[in-house]
Amino acid sequence: MHGWCGTILRVDLTRGTIATEKLDPRVARSYIGARGFGIYYLRKEVDPRCDPLGPFNTLIMAAGPLTGTAAPTGARYVVTTKSPLTGAITCSNSGGNFPAELKKSGIDAILFEGRAERPVYLWVDRGRAELRPAGHLWGLTTHQTDEALRRETDEKAKTAVIGPAGERRVLFAAIMNDRDRAAGRAGVGAVMGAKNLKAVVVRGEGEVALADPAGFKAANARYRDAFKAKTKDNPPPLRTHGTAITVVGTQSHGVFPTRNFQQGTFEGWESIYGETLTRKYLLRAKPCFSCPIACGRVTRIPDGPFAGEGEGPEYETVYALGSDCGVDDLAALTKANYECNELGLDTISMGSTIACAMELYEKGLLKESETGMPLRWGDGQALVELVRLTARREGFGDVLAEGSLRLATRYGRPELAMVAKGLDFAGYDPRGEQGMGLAYATSPIGGSHMRGDPAYFELLGVPTSVDPHTWTDKPPLVAKWQDLFCVIDAAGLCVFFSVRYLVEQNLMVKPVGITELLNAATGAGYTPEEVERAGERIFNAERLFLLAAGFTRGDDRLPPRIVSEPMPSGPAKGMVCRLEEMLGPYYELRGWSAGGGPCEAKLKELGLL
Amino acid sequence: MKITVNLFANLRDYAPAGQRPAEVSLPGGATAADLLSALRIPPAVQAVLLVNGRRAEAAALLADGDEVTLFPPMEGG
Repeated sequence: MHGWCGTILRVDLTRGTIATEKLDPRVARSYIGARGFGIYYLRKEVDPRCDPLGPFNTLIMAAGPLTGTAAPTGARYVVTTKSPLTGAITCSNSGGNFPAELKKSGIDAILFEGRAERPVYLWVDRGRAELRPAGHLWGLTTHQTDEALRRETDEKAKTAVIGPAGERRVLFAAIMNDRDRAAGRAGVGAVMGAKNLKAVVVRGEGEVALADPAGFKAANARYRDAFKAKTKDNPPPLRTHGTAITVVGTQSHGVFPTRNFQQGTFEGWESIYGETLTRKYLLRAKPCFSCPIACGRVTRIPDGPFAGEGEGPEYETVYALGSDCGVDDLAALTKANYECNELGLDTISMGSTIACAMELYEKGLLKESETGMPLRWGDGQALVELVRLTARREGFGDVLAEGSLRLATRYGRPELAMVAKGLDFAGYDPRGEQGMGLAYATSPIGGSHMRGDPAYFELLGVPTSVDPHTWTDKPPLVAKWQDLFCVIDAAGLCVFFSVRYLVEQNLMVKPVGITELLNAATGAGYTPEEVERAGERIFNAERLFLLAAGFTRGDDRLPPRIVSEPMPSGPAKGMVCRLEEMLGPYYELRGWSAGGGPCEAKLKELGLL
Repeated sequence: MKITVNLFANLRDYAPAGQRPAEVSLPGGATAADLLSALRIPPAVQAVLLVNGRRAEAAALLADGDEVTLFPPMEGG
């Protein structure tokens, strides 16, 4: 095969066996890769009603056909499993260098089944795989684990590991690859920990075979040149300031979540946004594999109580550990970010859970006798301390480790968890950004911005601007973009480049550039319409898993704060999210019944019957 | 009339004398497009334009005391 390696690794952790299987070319064509392979194997092999932390859940790591190629941003992989945080599917996406290394080792995907009796890690050396004992690594941070593993395997190997948080099954533990890149959302790290799988280490020296090398090279050069021409005199804000520049877009529209979504503007925003980060702490920009943008941040806090060095913060972290907790101390939230990376936690859910605890505390529902410390808005020291406690489930951290919804439910106020389907929102308040509300509510994994991110057209002017306050126009746009994001994730590309250069620059975002690169890499001869259809297939297949896991239309909802408490101030003052008015039209145009399930005709059309 | 202007990322280069936020005086009846030319922002430069936190077109009429925000389109989040 070309683009695809054609090899799936099946690791049975209970038996300690490893088998290689051929990738079915029909599956490859229909599901493209990465996120598509994730849902294909999850539906095929995992009982949607299983215990996410039990041996019958499967953890799937999958790359796309463009991962590991020279395609711009061909760096991504997706981790798919049943989430212990939400009980829904989760598919969490990450870049760095590990995913490309997996492809260079000749592997498209790894399926981890069962549960090892004792800690192990998987070592894949140029396609040969073996399970090795990992007892000596248990308890180490992600950075320590990465260093130890490269010492005992190959200095050039790439790693995806869990830290203490994953080992202790913190329900929003991340899988960290290349030290500081995270497949972060909805507890993929806890599933790895429950399987006693500490790490995956890969070394590959091969090249991804291309169906049409000359055509690929030409298309690649053209898209990279277009990027260079556009950014020659104006470097992309993402390179200069990182994703934390996005604060400008959210704060100025009044949708920058503040104090657990009680407000949409944060008075301390200038202290924590991208330009301040650049000025105060940036050492250098860091690209993922084959990326011309380089939005990654290597930063250092030179002195003071939060001194340290690491990567981040990104925008979502600046919101979650910053404005959402009322923290305007960039050093404190950056330090909390470093701790999350090293202990293996999702910064979004960590911050959102602390914000929820702070609101419960401020409302008198949570007492200092239970928390062990005052939890006042803006307390940077408490923020860092709570991250450390949560990762090791010590003291009040054991309560936080269960996530915001269980925390708020425990104290009698479940509506104070800012979640959809139990997954914490990203950094956009849907009251002033209607499309984002629909995207959160209908995302198969819950409150994620990476399932058709409407912030592009509602806030950030990409590819063009749409009024964020209108709702009747949003259902078709959200559906279209959700399907597009499936395609980008399945191909193994990053959204940041793809949305700007590899799709037609209008709101219908036809994936012409992605199709061209896919065809040159795989020889599949897709039309853009077939690629779009594959995206729709992936989205609907994820929906089917969700429904089979017991979710219904009633779960496509947002907290009362978002749908019935008007935004108190700022540019979105007086607004609520008009979710109910968007859901009906959305289901209809998706070909779903009023109950929220894909109709038979739609399933037939997508080959999902 | 006086307009307050917030410029971000590479549009910051157009702030008069590096002011932040910048104050710009314009004759009554001026539009957002007039503001852009007063700031010497070339028409080819793409910008997201907000007036008092709401998306606006270049033809939008400005009023005394308005707050205008300009930033380049960005892939973010």
